[in-house]
Amino acid sequence: MKLFSKERPEIPIVNHLKEDGTEWTIKEKLWLGLSVSEYKKQFIRNPVNWLMVFIFAIGVPLIIGRYIFGLGWVTHASNDYPWGLFLGFGLFGMVPLSASGFMLGTTVELFGRKDFHSIERLALLNGLLGYFFAVLFLEVDLGMWWRLPYPMFVSLGPAAVLFLVAWHVATYLSVQIAEVLPSFFEWIGWLKGKRAIRKWVLGLTVAGIILSTLHQGALGALFCYAPGKVHPLWLSVNFQWLHFFCSSIFAGLSMVIIASTLIKNFMAWRCDDEFLDNLDYVTIGMAKGASLAMITYLCIKIVAVAHDQEWSYLLTGWGTYYFLELGIAVVLPMCMFAVGIRKHYVTLIRFGAFIAAFGIIWNRLNTSLICFNWQMYQDIPHWKEVWITITLYSLYFLTYRFIVYRMPIVYEWKGER
Amino acid sequence: MNKLLNRRNFLKGGLATTAAAAVLKNSDTQAAGHFDGYPDSMGVLVDLTRCVGCRSCEAACNKEQQLPEPAKPYDDFSVFDEMHHGQKRRTDETRYTVVNRYDVPEIDHPLFRKIQCNHCAEPACLTSCFVNAYTKTPEGAVIYNPKVCVGCRNCMIACPFYIPTFKFSHAFTPRIMKCIFCYDTRLKDGKAPACVEACPQEALTFGKRTEVLEMGKQRIRMTPGKYVNHVYGEHEVGGTAWMYLSSVPFDKVGLDTHLPNEPIIYSVKDFLAMVPMVLTIWPGLFVGFHLLATRKDKIKELEDAKNKKNDEKEEQV
Amino acid sequence: MRTRKKILRTALALAVGTIFIAPSQIWCMDASDAPESVTIDLMAELYGPVEFDHLMHTDVASCQDCHHQTTGGEVTDPSCARCHRGTDEGDSVGCSECHVTDRFNATNVKALEDPQLYHFDKPGLKGAYHINCIGCHKTVDGPTGCQDCHTMTDAGEKMFSTGKHAPAKGTSSSGHH
Repeated sequence: MKLFSKERPEIPIVNHLKEDGTEWTIKEKLWLGLSVSEYKKQFIRNPVNWLMVFIFAIGVPLIIGRYIFGLGWVTHASNDYPWGLFLGFGLFGMVPLSASGFMLGTTVELFGRKDFHSIERLALLNGLLGYFFAVLFLEVDLGMWWRLPYPMFVSLGPAAVLFLVAWHVATYLSVQIAEVLPSFFEWIGWLKGKRAIRKWVLGLTVAGIILSTLHQGALGALFCYAPGKVHPLWLSVNFQWLHFFCSSIFAGLSMVIIASTLIKNFMAWRCDDEFLDNLDYVTIGMAKGASLAMITYLCIKIVAVAHDQEWSYLLTGWGTYYFLELGIAVVLPMCMFAVGIRKHYVTLIRFGAFIAAFGIIWNRLNTSLICFNWQMYQDIPHWKEVWITITLYSLYFLTYRFIVYRMPIVYEWKGER
Repeated sequence: MNKLLNRRNFLKGGLATTAAAAVLKNSDTQAAGHFDGYPDSMGVLVDLTRCVGCRSCEAACNKEQQLPEPAKPYDDFSVFDEMHHGQKRRTDETRYTVVNRYDVPEIDHPLFRKIQCNHCAEPACLTSCFVNAYTKTPEGAVIYNPKVCVGCRNCMIACPFYIPTFKFSHAFTPRIMKCIFCYDTRLKDGKAPACVEACPQEALTFGKRTEVLEMGKQRIRMTPGKYVNHVYGEHEVGGTAWMYLSSVPFDKVGLDTHLPNEPIIYSVKDFLAMVPMVLTIWPGLFVGFHLLATRKDKIKELEDAKNKKNDEKEEQV
Repeated sequence: MRTRKKILRTALALAVGTIFIAPSQIWCMDASDAPESVTIDLMAELYGPVEFDHLMHTDVASCQDCHHQTTGGEVTDPSCARCHRGTDEGDSVGCSECHVTDRFNATNVKALEDPQLYHFDKPGLKGAYHINCIGCHKTVDGPTGCQDCHTMTDAGEKMFSTGKHAPAKGTSSSGHH
């Protein structure tokens, strides 16, 4: 794209009107204003696309196989380990990393911090896509995937934590669609729709906070059903929902830092000056928020150990692993954030964000797989399961890129808004 | 929208229940949410000192529930040496019950223990299910409805006894497979389950749960030194319909002795109680934050408007 | 019927007792009263009948080991002796007199709810046989395998998926997952 954006002044598209005053059609917008041959050219040039083709070439048949031969064909999910990577990574990992939507929605719309405005849309999109793909992961994992709406409309079990998760993720997904729609309406040029939604912003944002608090916490509370199975250091019946909620705050913020870093480095042609100029400031701001959440998280982690009288576990091998997790996943990025904020080393913050996001996934995998059945044997995911997980994540990446390439996420629409 | 209202009502109910539980905690009245089990629930007492590991129960279960043909005949006792990931045999989609052998060094003969669903009074599978696929019948059975199950397998996570199993091998007709106390074919007509009927040793004693519990206690009392002084399942996870008597500590025969005495759902109640709080307090709190955070802008707006008016007035004057 | 019989018997005992100088004699059976062999076909559906060599067993065990107090004689178990001390031999000593064949049917289970019932944990017939036989065989190294005592019928082989009905190798579900 860099190539074409230098050669042709009207690319990338930021306006409804072309240079000559005619309107871009939706089709042209979808092709990024390029001809088919130009589009092919830029597709082939990008090595990431080749990697994607390789992943999909194996991953898609595997996914089809899962729907023909059953879960047993692609996973090691067993009666002892009913949940594998699809949920461990796809649901328990993706959802906290997508807490960004409500975090920045709250910052900008509710607290009126207009200085974070330039990152808000990216955060909202990051949230929407994360949730959408978490549901997609769920659809691969559910035995009877065609019954997804059952907990909503057919047979209700309202006392179950998963019922809350289902309802909240579903409603929150709708809220997030509503929050991202203005960008879409700008892009297709339906301003009436956009303005209608803008009126609801405060309500949507508050709904977002409520639903996020509850379902981020509920994902943690799901493990309270297995007090004898999850290692006590990773499960505190009283604090589990707080741990999950609190860690989702810095997870979401870290994920936005990661996304913005990738966009800044590999998609600068798409960003406008406001986004690029503000990015360092915004990144430092988000790091501040994240490090506050991290110190809170560390405190309640220790409180939980004290509350459950689990000190003796800390001296076992599991205790060492616990310290390792907290050290690498939380303390290290927290220190990196702290130094980065103080000395304005934004690069350090960006590295810290990568570590923090990895750390959250690690924590969720620890809770759902590695420290699950800790008194039994260790389940190692099937290679097909790993590959399908990577395939779905690649699809997430592609969708993400597809949208950021086109819609006004990291740039402002120049035309009528 | 209608469903949303249902949900709201449920949450209101939850709040009311929490309040009621707090108020009624020390009174005799039973607050909603506490369940001691159906009074006429049936039960089975498994006496490990009687079991000889003949596997008749496994065979009878297989035929009664029309499960797939086993890999080895039921009179083949080499199955007791089978290990998977260092674990003894367990229930799966082809078998609802399994007998395992335990060699306890302190005694000169092996012990055998049958595994099946213990049919909890307040089952974790049931309380964790978000589509109500499980039912605890007044007869004591925990049964499953494959017609509404989504296949999320939360019940398998929740079950403290690792009982529910899933047909991972089926893409089009997966379902949970678990012992249902022979509810459809026997229990609902007052008959004992097939395994109990098949047991030559009467290691399995069927009757009203209260009766068989009494029998267990009597056996402990009448034969001092023979049994560990505990009926496993009397209190475990809120009480189970199937209970065990053993001559050796229960962890030596593969039973989890660290289970709480409260139903599994109690571990989740902290979170469930928090839900109505968030739903009622958060909106006001955060709208308040919003007003506070944006009050300077508002004040400025008002002042600007005032100044403008004053300016206009001055101009007029 | 029973009482009349008892009275008659007591009268007889008194009469005989006076003749044979044993004033406090309790009526009790001994090995010579026993049948030589008993056919047990309780589980006829799955297993062939057991030809129980009663005579042989009278050499290795006492009557009370199996028949409790019903054959008469001194009751040694202190907790049984509280009621059964010094009772006569029963009218019938057959196991099925007391041990029901279908212990867990609805009627029998319901009957246990009677709070006055003392022996409320009495094994059924099948349980009584097996607990007693195998329990003893274990201590004296007698046979304990199912088919050591009774051979399996075709229906039994079907239920146990063995013999003619054994699973074909490699075709059946292994139950891995």
